[in-house]
Amino acid sequence: MITFSRVSLIYPHSTTTVIEDLSFEIQEGELVLVMGHTGSGKSSLLRLINGLVPHHTGGILGGEIIVDGKSTRTTRPGELAGIVGIVGQNPISTFVTDIVEDELAFGMESLNFPEDVMRKRIEEVLDQVGLSALRNRAIATLSGGEQQRLAIASALVMHPKVLLLDEPTSALDPIASEEILAILHRLVHDLSVTVILAEHRLERVIGYVDRILLIDGDGRSTIGVPSEILKKSNLVPPIVKLSRALNIDDIGTSTREVRRATEGLRNTLEDYQRPSFDRGELLLEINSLSASYDSKDALRNFDAVLARGEITALMGRNGAGKSTLIRTIIGLHKEVRGDIYFAGRKILEIDQRLRSRRIGYIPQEPGDLLYLTTVREECLRADRDNDVKAGATLQFLHTLLPHISPESHPRELSEGQRLALVLSIVMSGKPELLILDEPTRGLDYEAKILLMRELHRLAREKGTSVLMATHDVEIVAEVADRTIFLADGEKVADGNTVEVLLASPAFAPQVAKVMSPRRWLTVGDVLGAVENTNS
Amino acid sequence: MEKSFHPFTFWAIFSALAIAVVASDSALVAGIALGGATLLVYLFAQEGPWSKSFEWSLVAGAYLLLIRSITGIIIGVPRPGTTVFEVPRIHLPEWLPGIRIGGPVTLERLISSLHEGFIIATVIALFGAANSVTSPHKLLRVLPSRIYQLSVTLIIATSVFPQLIQSIKRIRDAQFIRSGKRPRIYRIALPLLEESLGRAVNLAESMESRGYGQSKVQSRYRPIKYQPRDLIYIVGGVFSAIAMVAM
Repeated sequence: MITFSRVSLIYPHSTTTVIEDLSFEIQEGELVLVMGHTGSGKSSLLRLINGLVPHHTGGILGGEIIVDGKSTRTTRPGELAGIVGIVGQNPISTFVTDIVEDELAFGMESLNFPEDVMRKRIEEVLDQVGLSALRNRAIATLSGGEQQRLAIASALVMHPKVLLLDEPTSALDPIASEEILAILHRLVHDLSVTVILAEHRLERVIGYVDRILLIDGDGRSTIGVPSEILKKSNLVPPIVKLSRALNIDDIGTSTREVRRATEGLRNTLEDYQRPSFDRGELLLEINSLSASYDSKDALRNFDAVLARGEITALMGRNGAGKSTLIRTIIGLHKEVRGDIYFAGRKILEIDQRLRSRRIGYIPQEPGDLLYLTTVREECLRADRDNDVKAGATLQFLHTLLPHISPESHPRELSEGQRLALVLSIVMSGKPELLILDEPTRGLDYEAKILLMRELHRLAREKGTSVLMATHDVEIVAEVADRTIFLADGEKVADGNTVEVLLASPAFAPQVAKVMSPRRWLTVGDVLGAVENTNS
Repeated sequence: MEKSFHPFTFWAIFSALAIAVVASDSALVAGIALGGATLLVYLFAQEGPWSKSFEWSLVAGAYLLLIRSITGIIIGVPRPGTTVFEVPRIHLPEWLPGIRIGGPVTLERLISSLHEGFIIATVIALFGAANSVTSPHKLLRVLPSRIYQLSVTLIIATSVFPQLIQSIKRIRDAQFIRSGKRPRIYRIALPLLEESLGRAVNLAESMESRGYGQSKVQSRYRPIKYQPRDLIYIVGGVFSAIAMVAM
């Protein structure tokens, strides 16, 4: 279906090749995962397949790409519209119309399909992705998962042979992401659509893929079955880390396989409980907080406390009220009833400038905070804003990223680097509470590990409290002391992370699924148990 | 679902008004047009990120008026009349005759620059008003794909502008929390520029990969038709425009 022969790609004004001498073949009805660090060229690779690169972006293409018998060199993306469907990283910015049904019709209208064919296909695809009930809804009112399904549907309605998806689950909660993957699985198995997806959250997709295409940072790449690729890769999901840590030779990619391989261990290992966090002084107290947003109840009677040095995860489906809670604490949302006490004082009585200093906030798009032209200037600005010694912020950044050049432009940084820069800027004010909104979106495992270590260090050594809203179960399992679960504006669970995550199967991390009924969430927990057994 | 207007209706009305404002070159006409636009926006603004376009274009217009008046006071060709006040004059070399920086400001000159500024601001506000009441996405559905390049440009311009407004709010909030004070415009400009360019490129790529412009003729799924109400409004709009010019 897709043949790459000796493909190289270089963008204009750039000295490094994005892709170098890449050859592979993908068959009809295969599900292929493209894996690599941020900035390794995963998106470019997807866009090469439908010709957006280089037709739309510029750049020099070497070699030949044949998709369903057509060379992308001579075929424009528009001419491939009936063969290749593409779903971008950020669906909302790719929608052309306002209403669900109109969006589905857009591509077919452009290719001048007769109206009766359009009607039939729209019915069919609405059922396929389960959006029938929402057909007349305004796109702006759909949830993230629904928008993602709509984006997939608008590609599917053209009956493509190839479907390309760029990080289809990264913005979604675990349940919405399962729904998307189930749809893809059906497409591949029932309709023999070839699906190629790029994704950082390997733990979510690894069970579904037939082959993996691994792109190294230096343009080299390899393709193979998951067990083979994952043996050598340094980007691996927790389940593979577990196999490696336990010296299991056969790398399994599904919970079932690894469960079989670890059956003996599960039964024989001694008990292990991760050290729990001893709560000292309380920093934040929230008493029966209710908030409305767009004249709807976004939060009802919410109570919670955060202790100094405690890491708390805030979880829940999209629209459960996580953002409203965060915006209320940082002072952006004011339509509230109830009280929030910060270090014993009513939070609304604290002057905003002082509050900004004591509560650090990293938004979902960390880049929103950056506006200068070099990393050094941003850091110096933060030093001045927070009255700290000049150079302190940059020094802190260097502990996170030793190799970052202070002269580089903040816009050129990878997502992980940008997050590290923003974290350094925010931490230069030495806030007592650090709030992060969806920090792991778009981060690869290495960047995630860096973030986890730093959060842990800040909480334990500096006594900073951390509140983190996230869909990423794995980071919660690794660092959070406590987890609060929101559903439809109400708190449904609040407690020790182990208890809360194990209570809901959809939110259980991979290792927990393998090790159930033992109560371990991470590879670290299992190794702890191994140590207990051996000693 | 309530039947909405044809996307061309309001563009026709506001274009007619804009032409009337420019053609008549009268502050009164501009004022009336602005009032009419405000009323129409108040009555028909839709739910959507673009519905705030009018308010923002008013703000942009006010800035423009201010800048125009300041430059009008400082730089310009001398104009006789009643002197209101005097600004210290900077002497330019002799090879730049006729141009003057500073000096006496006459009432006539003040009025003429305010007038000009107001006319331009009104035209901008009318454009914003048309954007407020018409979904840019709907507009795309009625443009023929024969004028492909033009419609792509138009759609991207009209749909990125409203999204910009949403982004401004988000970035401003984030900056506000970083520093605890209202951020200056230049702090917002860079992240905003990056984001709007990104969005524009995304939208263009999405349209291209879905075959927009591939076929000379486009079919219509549930075509948008003119309603009698549309015609009444257009005729009303055009007549008022003509009446204003004739005034």
